[in-house]
Amino acid sequence: MDPRERLLSAGKRLTDPAEALAQRIAERAVDLIVQALDINQLVQRVDLDAVLGQVDINTILRRVDVNALLAQVDVNALLAKVDVTVLLDRVEVNALLDRVNVDALLGRADVDALLQRVDVGALIDRVDVNDLIRRVDLDSLVQDTDLGAVIAKSSGGVASEALDAARSQAVGLDQFIDRWVGRAIRRRQAGPPAPAALLDGEAES
Amino acid sequence: MSTRTPPAGWVSSQGHYAGAVSRFLAFVIDVLVSSGLAALGLAATALVVQVVTGHSVSWDRTNIVVAIIFVAWEFFYFGYSWAASGRTFGMAVLGVRVVRADGHGLDPWRGVVRALVFPLSFLFFGLGFLGILVQREHRALHDLIAGTAVIYAWDARAARIRFLARDAEAGPGGR
Repeated sequence: MDPRERLLSAGKRLTDPAEALAQRIAERAVDLIVQALDINQLVQRVDLDAVLGQVDINTILRRVDVNALLAQVDVNALLAKVDVTVLLDRVEVNALLDRVNVDALLGRADVDALLQRVDVGALIDRVDVNDLIRRVDLDSLVQDTDLGAVIAKSSGGVASEALDAARSQAVGLDQFIDRWVGRAIRRRQAGPPAPAALLDGEAES
Repeated sequence: MSTRTPPAGWVSSQGHYAGAVSRFLAFVIDVLVSSGLAALGLAATALVVQVVTGHSVSWDRTNIVVAIIFVAWEFFYFGYSWAASGRTFGMAVLGVRVVRADGHGLDPWRGVVRALVFPLSFLFFGLGFLGILVQREHRALHDLIAGTAVIYAWDARAARIRFLARDAEAGPGGR
């Protein structure tokens, strides 16, 4: 055996037990120190603000995989805990709506898809059609659109026109004579214009 | 052809009590139509009798049989029309209809009663018809007895639209 190797071997036999002994002593000493230390008192002494002031939070956050983090979150459970009413009470809706660009919003909306989801039958059931028709200015509608020409062409000929004219003239004369007779006999109170059942129908329509 | 649009006052008169002019014109038309039909019927009967028997028949207005036939025919004309539809031909032309006094549809028996008591209104120079002018519901004597009234029953709103449509088609020059 090489004398150099023999020397190293002898040294190793001597240092290994010493190293193991030092390791055991160090562990024991740390145990004793940790047991003797009051960690809470130690933490209270630490100026956490100063420590955190030295930390670059943004750098840390950039290293966090937010998607992976959110994937682990049960969003439904989280939302179930949220009191939406209280949340909405704190929201100033008008201010929020002022900030909304409605044109841009509508530009992004698929109106056709939206309309396909609308129950038109239910919508029409809620509409008071009679009230709607009463609001229509038929005179303007007939006079200002092609509807007048369509009606004129489809509503009979000279006979129909003569009949309409004769009836309307007769009613006009009836009303004229009724007014004069009323004055002549000094009728104080005009009678009902129609029989009761028809007056009720008029009121309903 | 253009028609000047009449004032819209008559448009809302549908269902209202009919006045004297409409009723009188309807009656005139009915008298002309029923008399014409009666004359045609008598002429046709005379022709048939002549063809079958070889004897010529001449209807004399003073003949009591002709008078009875004419009165029966008039009663049938008016009574059947009122009982069946509440209106005669003349009333249909003028757009008026007989209804019950409360406005409901006429019962057939009321139509018959109205035809039976109708001549009473002619008594004393037609005094019974005065009710059409002065009575608040424009009801004549035979209306009061039969429990009926006469109303405007034509679709005045549709007529108004037809008037407007004709005016619109004629253009501003046609007005």
